[in-house]
Amino acid sequence: MATHSDSVAGKKSNDVSNDLQIFNAENLQSNMKVIYYSRTFLSIIGGVIAGILGFTGLMGFVFYFLIMAITSVCLMAKAKFSVHSYFDSWNRILLDGFLGGLMSFVLFWTFAYDIVHIF
Amino acid sequence: MAEDLVLDTAIRDWVLIPLSVVMVLIGILRYFVSKLMRSSQVPDPKIVKEGQVIVRARNLRAGANFIAPKSFRARRVYFCNEENGLLHMPKGQAQNAQAQMFSDPNMAMDMMKKNLSMIIPQTLTFAWVNFFFSGFVAAKIPFPLTQRFRSMLQNGIDLSTVDVSYVSSRSWYFLNLFGLRGLFSLILGEENATDDTQRMMQMSGFGFDPSKSLGAEKDSLDIIQHEWALPKFEQRAETVLKDLVR
Repeated sequence: MATHSDSVAGKKSNDVSNDLQIFNAENLQSNMKVIYYSRTFLSIIGGVIAGILGFTGLMGFVFYFLIMAITSVCLMAKAKFSVHSYFDSWNRILLDGFLGGLMSFVLFWTFAYDIVHIF
Repeated sequence: MAEDLVLDTAIRDWVLIPLSVVMVLIGILRYFVSKLMRSSQVPDPKIVKEGQVIVRARNLRAGANFIAPKSFRARRVYFCNEENGLLHMPKGQAQNAQAQMFSDPNMAMDMMKKNLSMIIPQTLTFAWVNFFFSGFVAAKIPFPLTQRFRSMLQNGIDLSTVDVSYVSSRSWYFLNLFGLRGLFSLILGEENATDDTQRMMQMSGFGFDPSKSLGAEKDSLDIIQHEWALPKFEQRAETVLKDLVR
């Protein structure tokens, strides 16, 4: 289904120097897309898990933020912790798309919770 | 708190799942229809030319520090020269281009088509949901909401003692509407017609581009201070190699 690959595509910075950072726009964009897909996919999966496990109320949202934090950590590990050679700022990899997956999470959480617990 | 209502399995089989499946299918259908209906736009050569000039100017800005000062200045004059520089556009002409883009029939038709193709399926599906699936509890949302949401979420259900978590199928429809956007972006490749606003910006931005961004590019080119990086490269290479050797 989803072409879910965690690989962060290609270095972009100028290798020679430490100060001049020039970013290849195409690669930067493709990296952004990878982050977006990963977060979306994981929020869907996280929603199903939360529903099956029967989280209700606040616990579910805490679980969502936990999943997002785990995503950030895994992405950083994949980028070998040298964030600056793949993205232009810390905020991109940590915060981008944080709330974008929330609606999908809630949808699949409701779905799984209902199927498993109510019906 | 609230007693747990036991809901009929038939509701799950015949309401939740079909509704979600129908919305996914409609989304896929809309994606393909919009792809087919996109009229083949013959790109206006003038617009394309201006776009390319802007790209060139941007590359010049990005690589400014890697070329000799004289050549950078020569290129900058080529772009920003008052009389015949590429980026300089006389005021009157700028206004014209913008107005022309606005009333360009092709682009207007396209935007209208996109708007319609988004609104009509939503309206139809909503009407269908209201007609068939109203008047009963459809699902239970796992988190509690305040009483004020009751009228919004439970509109078919006329009992006021039922917990607000038990919602009608209308709210299941809205939940699907927002939640399936993420799913669509996964299965349909890049951003598709459901998240239309970005694409509309991009498409209409193409028409307004010439007048504003030419001026913007010219200004930013004018601002740049040229600092030639090459002489310092030797020192940088030296430090890098020293670190390597150590």
